Amino acid sequence: MTRETFERELQRLQDEALVLGSMVENALTESVEVLKRRDMAGSRRLIAHDHLINEKRFAIENDALVLIATQQPMAGDLRTIAAVLDITHELERIGDYAKGIAKINLMIGEEPLVKPLVDIPRMAEKARDMLHRALEAFVEQDVALARAIPAEDDEVDDLYNQVYRELITYVLADPSTIEQANYLLWAAHNLERAADRVTNVCERVIFTVTGEMVEMDQEDSGVESPAHG
Amino acid sequence: MAKIDVEHLNFYYGSKPALSDISVTVQDRQITALIGPSGCGKSTFLRCLNRMNETIPGTRMEGRVLLDGQDIYAPDTDVVDLRRRVGMVFQRPNPFPQSIFDNVAFGPLVLGMHRKENLADIVERSLRGAVLWDEVKDDLRQDALSLSLGQQQRLCIARAIAVEPGVILMDEPCSALDPIATLQVEELMKRLKENYCIVIVTHNMQQAARVSDWTGFFWLGELVEFDDTQVIFTRPGQELTEDYITGRAG
Repeated sequence: MTRETFERELQRLQDEALVLGSMVENALTESVEVLKRRDMAGSRRLIAHDHLINEKRFAIENDALVLIATQQPMAGDLRTIAAVLDITHELERIGDYAKGIAKINLMIGEEPLVKPLVDIPRMAEKARDMLHRALEAFVEQDVALARAIPAEDDEVDDLYNQVYRELITYVLADPSTIEQANYLLWAAHNLERAADRVTNVCERVIFTVTGEMVEMDQEDSGVESPAHG
Repeated sequence: MAKIDVEHLNFYYGSKPALSDISVTVQDRQITALIGPSGCGKSTFLRCLNRMNETIPGTRMEGRVLLDGQDIYAPDTDVVDLRRRVGMVFQRPNPFPQSIFDNVAFGPLVLGMHRKENLADIVERSLRGAVLWDEVKDDLRQDALSLSLGQQQRLCIARAIAVEPGVILMDEPCSALDPIATLQVEELMKRLKENYCIVIVTHNMQQAARVSDWTGFFWLGELVEFDDTQVIFTRPGQELTEDYITGRAG
C-alpha cells in the first residue's frame, strides 16, 4: 500500500457519510413517529436537530474538498469523493423532508387525526429501508444492489397514491377535514420525495464503481405539494 | 488527423527488450502525454519517434514508425531532415552558451532557412511563438545562460520551433522548473498545439491530466492503455492504469 494516509482519509470520509446517513434515517422514522403520537415537543426537538444534520454535511463537504486539494485523487478515488459530495447532499435534503414532516405536525396542532396513520408510517419504513440499503451498497460498492433498489420506489409511490385516494374520500365525506388531509398529504409527499432521492444515491453508487452515469429514475407520480423543510 | 502511426514497435537494449509490440496513432495538433513509472519505456518510445535511440550503441528496433505516412526508418530517410521535422525538448534546459539570438538562429542558419527569410524575423517569430519575446526583446544579445530556468526552457522551445517542425517531443520538460515556470510552459504547450503535434513524457500525472488530449500509460515496456485523457483520469479501462494513477502501483 503506497497511499496509506490517503486511504485512511478516504475511508474516514465514507464513514462520516454513513454517520450522516444514520442521523437522517433516524430523523425520517422519528418524524412520522411524532406525527403519529401527536408529540409537539418531539417535533420541535426534530426541527432543532436538523441543523446538526446540516453541519455534518458541511463538515463532510469540507473534508472532501481538502482531500481533493491536497491529494489530487484520480479515477475511482475521485469518483468516490464526488459520490460522497453528492450523496451527502441527498441525505441533507432527506433530512429536510423529515424536518418538513415535523413542521406539519406542529401545523396540525393538538387536534386529533382524522384517521389512524397506517400507510404513512409504512412509507417512512420503506423509504428508510431503501436508504439504509443504498448506503450499504455504497460502502460495499455493490452495483447489483444499487441497481435493484430504485425499482422498490414503486411501492412507495403506490402507498402515496393510496394515501391520496383515502384522504380524498375523507374530504368528500366531511369537507371540514380538508386542512388536515392536506397536511397529511404533504407529509406523504415528503416521504415519496425522500424515496426518490434514494434512487439518486443508487445512481451515484453505480457511477462510483463503474464510471457510468445512469438514470435509474422511475416516472414521478403523485401530486406536487410545497411542504419541504 | 493522424500525424504519427506506430506499428508493432519492438525495441531492445542489447538482448533486453525495452518496448514490446507498441501500436498507436498520434494525432496532429493535439497533445499526447506518455505516463508510467521510471524504466517503463516511455522515454525510449519518445526517442524512437525521431530516431534518437540510434545514437545509443547496441540497440535494435523492429516495426514501423510512419510520420505523415512515410516510414522514418526507411533506408532513404534523411535523418537530419527528420530531426528538423521532429524537434525535441529535454528535461533540463540545454541552451547553447551563446546569445539568445544565436540560440534561436542556429538551426535556421544550419538549414539555410535565412536565404528565404530574414533571420531576425525567424528569431522574433520563434520567440513570440514560445511566449518569450516580450521578456527578452530588449537584449537579444544577452547570454542565454543568464535567463531563468523557465525562460531557458522556453528558449529551447523557441529553438525547436525555429526550424518549423511538425512534431515537438518533450521529455519531462518541466521537471527542473518551479511551479510557476511549469504552468507557463504548460500554457505555452496549449498554444503550440494549434500548430504542432506535441508528445510529452511526464512523471507528473497532474501535468498529463492538465495539458494533454490523449494519454498513453506504459508499464514494463508495454502500452497498457491509450485513450482520451479525460477517460484515463476518470474511468480508465484497465485496472493497472487505475492502480497506477491512483498511486497504488508503481
